[in-house]
Amino acid sequence: MSALSPATAEDAGDVTRRHGRLRHVLRGVGTVCFTLFGLLLITFGLSRLSPVDPALQLVGDHGSASSYAAMRRTLGLDAPWPVQFERYGVRLLHGDLGVSSSTGERVSDDLRRVFPATLELATLAMGLSTLVGLPLAVLGAWRPRGVLDALVRVVSLAGNSVPIYWLGLLALYLFYAHWRWVAGPGRLDDAFEYTIDMHTNSVLIDSWRSGVPGAFANAVSHLILPVLLLAAYAVGNITRLTRAALLAEAGKEYVTLARAKGATDIRVMLRHIAPNAAGLVVTVLALAYANLLEGAVLIETVFAWPGLGRYLTTALFAADTAAVLGATLLIGVCFVLINGLTDVVVQMLDPRSR
Amino acid sequence: MILCALCFAHDGLAASLPDVLVVAQSLDDIASLDPAEGFELSSLQAFTNVYQRLVQPHPDDPSTLVPTLASSWTAGPTPHSLVFSLRADAVFASGHPLRPEDVMFSLSRAVKLNRAPVFILNELGWRSENIDGSLHKIDAHRVRIDWSSDVGPAFVLRLLTAPVASIVDEWEVAAHEANGDAGNGWLKNHSAGSGPFKIRRYIAHEALVLDANPSSPQGAPLLKTLIFKNVADAATRRLLVEVGDADIARDLGPDQIAALEGKPDLTTLRFPSATIHYLMFNAANPSNPALANPALWEAARWLIDYQGIALRLLQGEFEVHQSFLADGYPGALPDTPYRLDVDKARAILAGAGLKQGLSITLSVMNQPPFGDIAQSLQSTFAKAGIRLEILPALTSEIYSKVRERSEEAVWLFWVPDYFDANSTASAFASNREDGTKTLAWRAGWHIPALSGETAAAVADQDPVARQRRYLAIQAAVQKSSPFVIALQARSLLVVRADVHGYRQGLDADMAYYDRVRKR
Repeated sequence: MSALSPATAEDAGDVTRRHGRLRHVLRGVGTVCFTLFGLLLITFGLSRLSPVDPALQLVGDHGSASSYAAMRRTLGLDAPWPVQFERYGVRLLHGDLGVSSSTGERVSDDLRRVFPATLELATLAMGLSTLVGLPLAVLGAWRPRGVLDALVRVVSLAGNSVPIYWLGLLALYLFYAHWRWVAGPGRLDDAFEYTIDMHTNSVLIDSWRSGVPGAFANAVSHLILPVLLLAAYAVGNITRLTRAALLAEAGKEYVTLARAKGATDIRVMLRHIAPNAAGLVVTVLALAYANLLEGAVLIETVFAWPGLGRYLTTALFAADTAAVLGATLLIGVCFVLINGLTDVVVQMLDPRSR
Repeated sequence: MILCALCFAHDGLAASLPDVLVVAQSLDDIASLDPAEGFELSSLQAFTNVYQRLVQPHPDDPSTLVPTLASSWTAGPTPHSLVFSLRADAVFASGHPLRPEDVMFSLSRAVKLNRAPVFILNELGWRSENIDGSLHKIDAHRVRIDWSSDVGPAFVLRLLTAPVASIVDEWEVAAHEANGDAGNGWLKNHSAGSGPFKIRRYIAHEALVLDANPSSPQGAPLLKTLIFKNVADAATRRLLVEVGDADIARDLGPDQIAALEGKPDLTTLRFPSATIHYLMFNAANPSNPALANPALWEAARWLIDYQGIALRLLQGEFEVHQSFLADGYPGALPDTPYRLDVDKARAILAGAGLKQGLSITLSVMNQPPFGDIAQSLQSTFAKAGIRLEILPALTSEIYSKVRERSEEAVWLFWVPDYFDANSTASAFASNREDGTKTLAWRAGWHIPALSGETAAAVADQDPVARQRRYLAIQAAVQKSSPFVIALQARSLLVVRADVHGYRQGLDADMAYYDRVRKR
């Protein structure tokens, strides 16, 4: 047996670590692929179990038997389910999400149009709810069961309990119809909407780049209500879960020790409790963001906001399988990306999780 | 929030533009804007304003035909042919002149594409294999059409008023053909017509923007732009028209209409609609033999609170109507012999030996106003000892069940496909047992004699005799059939007070925006 030189041992260690990282990455990619495949399979299965007949939906009740049969062939419904799924999978591997039967457009084009609308709404709402929710949670955890805490709990519960659909209509009635403080449903007033070229499909960016006087202010005015309402909904969860995480840390021995050593309340909260709760808080924020990305259907309906939630809901009712699968896949990818990013951030913040 | 709001205070730029009309409605139903394919309410209404046919119903009197792209027509060399002279000055929105080839291309294309509305043209006996032989160019301005079905020219002209018979610009469509799709992919969201408007932009589930077509043979419209905005929520549509960001709001519920009535800057328009609502028993369902019993059908006619539903429950959205042809159609039977009379119904049921405790599953669409109607039926049927189990379902699910004849009873509505009595009569009063799945077939109603009468009526070329036939057919269906026809819908719109000139007819496609102006 020959002894390895230190340099060779170091190289071998590097190789092992690289292999380990490669295995880790490959395992991660494999898990993501498997998750997305499972998601597609379940969505496809559910769409086929749906009582809505896609061909009948398009041909209509008065359509002839020959048109109905032709439509089934056009949609590929005349093939057995496994064959339909296989065909979809093969097309997907070539980057083709198919054509939406309810819009007549390529699903990828539809998603490029509707997803930025939701992304913009969700991102702004997320930023606002984080700015409001985190300080509220800290205030609530500062003096548990105090007046301030009670107030924070009421606010967070209200955000979760009041139906957002009702709140949306009420807000529209008061701030748009009654006081005229903000613009109403839609992303822009009609005076701008069909004259500004939507390159990015982000209304803020496109209205800003258009240079049309008043367009950007109008876009902001249209965004105010839906963003505030979505943020109010997210604030409830963020505040409640963050407060719970902070309180859980506050009861631990290291906090008692810090207090015994004479640390001030602010120092205890900012230097001891907050860093230890940060991992959980990041996870809460990530989940809230993912929910906003796929769960804004009601707000998008009330505010006539042409986003992903409305697209998916309309496609579901129209039994538009290609659109449903495409939108589900996109949402799945968002969840995977957000979860992956969250894992990285949590590992950076909390060495225990590495 | 208040600070934010005040910084961007809304100055109401939207619908205040004088030559732009904004219509708030749901556009989610649009699957295609190709007239050979689209067969949804919103697309049909768009076709009326974007395309023209050879002949069209007069907007104010749909029973009168108006030459549109044809300047005149005469009988052809056989009883089953017509010769159309085309308007010499007619041009499409593209600037291309109208030619006989455009007519032949449009009709042939619609038949060969074989999409949802093609069954209307199939009534002429036109199929993919014979359509090209049925259309002939006579000269630069005349075209002849032949048909093989046993129907008269008056009926053929009526079929040619349907949106599927819209004339498209062959050169324009051919320029956008891809992979042998006859331009279908392009026409789904573009236009190639000669109507008063042309499509500027269609964004699915978002908006349809039409620009005026000044060269339209029927004259330039009074507005420059027409914007149909997809606003799925009725409450939001109400707010938009109330504020003035929409000029017209369609499909508002009775409560929303009631809330807006009396406001000085709004007007409520009520148009009669040809939509008929009816209860259908499935006599072909073997699991419940009572469904095929004519005594049940008769008793059911006395167990509907027609007035209560029309006037109180749905507040004027409907009127009582008990025959299958809507009021306003030539030959419609105006009689309303039935009212709520539980005692009479009980006596009929007892006389037929139908015992108390009869249970029937009633399928209804899970959207307004069907739930309210079903609850009213449940209450009144219960008084006669019939238990109705309400089964709400998606519209498509209901239609699937009806086509499979697997439901027991269902509340449905009927919208005619073209302005002729045959469109509805052939559904309710014809079951030729030849594979054609009419409503009568779906209800399991065997009616060889009545089916013969319906076929004879459509072939009858004497308009007066034809109307008499339809009156008799309606009376037969009204007296005893698995259909209990109860209501005729009204179309309710709220418009801003400065909007004038909007016209709407009985049929789904008859929405006319060309004479609308704002002042």
